[in-house]
Amino acid sequence: MLDRFLLGIHSFWPTAWSRQRKSSATMLTSSLLLIAILWTIAIPLSWAPEPIGNNAALFAQGTRMTVELTIVAGLAGVVLGLLAALGKTSRLPPLRWLAAFYIWVMRGTPLLVQVLAVYFALPELHPVLRMEEFTAACVALALNVGAYNAEAIRSGLQAVPKGQIEAAKALGLSKWHTFIDITFPQAFKIALPPLVNNIVALLKDSSLAFTIGVVELTNAGSQVKSTSFQAVPVFIATAVIYLVLTTVMTQFSDAVERRFDIEGKLG
Amino acid sequence: MSAVPNAPGGGAAFISVEGVNKHFGSHHVLKDVSTQFNAGEVTVILGASGSGKSTLLRMLNRLETHDSGRIVVDGIEVNDDARQLERLRAEVGMVFQQFNLFPHLTVLENVALAPRRVRGLSRAEAEARAKELIERVGLAAHMHKHPFQLSGGQQQRVAIARSLAMQPKVMLFDEPTSALDPEMVKEVLDVMKALARSGMTMLVVTHEMGFAREVSDRVLFIDQGRIAADAPPEVFFGAQDNERIRAFLGRILH
Repeated sequence: MLDRFLLGIHSFWPTAWSRQRKSSATMLTSSLLLIAILWTIAIPLSWAPEPIGNNAALFAQGTRMTVELTIVAGLAGVVLGLLAALGKTSRLPPLRWLAAFYIWVMRGTPLLVQVLAVYFALPELHPVLRMEEFTAACVALALNVGAYNAEAIRSGLQAVPKGQIEAAKALGLSKWHTFIDITFPQAFKIALPPLVNNIVALLKDSSLAFTIGVVELTNAGSQVKSTSFQAVPVFIATAVIYLVLTTVMTQFSDAVERRFDIEGKLG
Repeated sequence: MSAVPNAPGGGAAFISVEGVNKHFGSHHVLKDVSTQFNAGEVTVILGASGSGKSTLLRMLNRLETHDSGRIVVDGIEVNDDARQLERLRAEVGMVFQQFNLFPHLTVLENVALAPRRVRGLSRAEAEARAKELIERVGLAAHMHKHPFQLSGGQQQRVAIARSLAMQPKVMLFDEPTSALDPEMVKEVLDVMKALARSGMTMLVVTHEMGFAREVSDRVLFIDQGRIAADAPPEVFFGAQDNERIRAFLGRILH
């Protein structure tokens, strides 16, 4: 039984179910689980002793904000990553340079500096770039994770054997269909584990939004700590909530990986 | 195997290659090669590895570019014009040494994909045609498997069915049995023989001398980037006055 918990939701489905069905069921369950957690997390938190119980609403609000930052920046980051990966593997030199420059800057500077720069420095360059805290945090996080995603997706694209593209060409498939039907699904499968890594890292890195005043989970915890002067229970609660979120998230991503695992390598 | 519906009538020069040159860096792979291939003809292309025989084949559907000269397939000039290239590749089927099946798709999806995307067939139409072809190559029981579940011989038969699904006018085979275990060579050759008998125009790069003798109408021998011999198989395999062909056949047959 302990084994099953370590293996995750996937191992609870009837063995007779097909791989696809188990995968869909896990994706659905973990999504519902996440929604349920976001909806009701204040209830179990309120049972906890002080200073957690009396601040349950603040923790719940911080948790929702952390998940919102992760989902918005994560989705934007995957799109940015795909664009940058296509740029980096493009035949047009200016696109390659642009993508390489973007990746170089975002991976070579601290995320904290990027968050602060988007919020404080961009509006000084042009007033149009003035954003509220949440938007600025999302932009900085998306730009950052996008650069890491780009490298993951690029390595996936380049790992698709040349013979696959030749076969697609020989069949007369257009460039678009070669990409959508042949290259991308195979590249995505290869890129998935590093992409998941990046998104899990993003969930934790979203705590840097704290520095520009976004009340996400770490900020909420910090506020409770400064009013209650009880650091230990606050940081335990904060860490446990992060762990619950990353666990649910990896359940979802495991299911996505299994969906693409036609050779049954994941068991 | 029944007659191929799109097979062109016999006689006319279907593919013409005129004064074609190809370099890979400083290596001059094909030297001023000129020849023609007729509709309905089965040509086997022989030559030592590195002689340029695969390169010649891959130029016919523009998987390799030619540096100079002219190639015309069924009235379509082979160049980089995207429209022409699309028409060309829809008419020219190709089977690769490494099969190159799409690993993320089932056998049925592999065969049905191009007719849907290129010919605009509905999924139902494409799958009906695909099923017929998969049955023709003897794999009806494996329709819903993925390539990794099949043997090399089975994969190559799927690859042939996948090419035929586009109803090509000519089929190019680039060492189709070279990556196979010996016991699987026959099942692939049998499919190719049936295809040849149905009147398909075929260009086959191979080391299978039995296939060349039995099925081909013509043998091209390429040596150091030039066509060194061009003869019907009975002449080619008979008395040979060419030292290099004798040496090549000696290496292959013994």
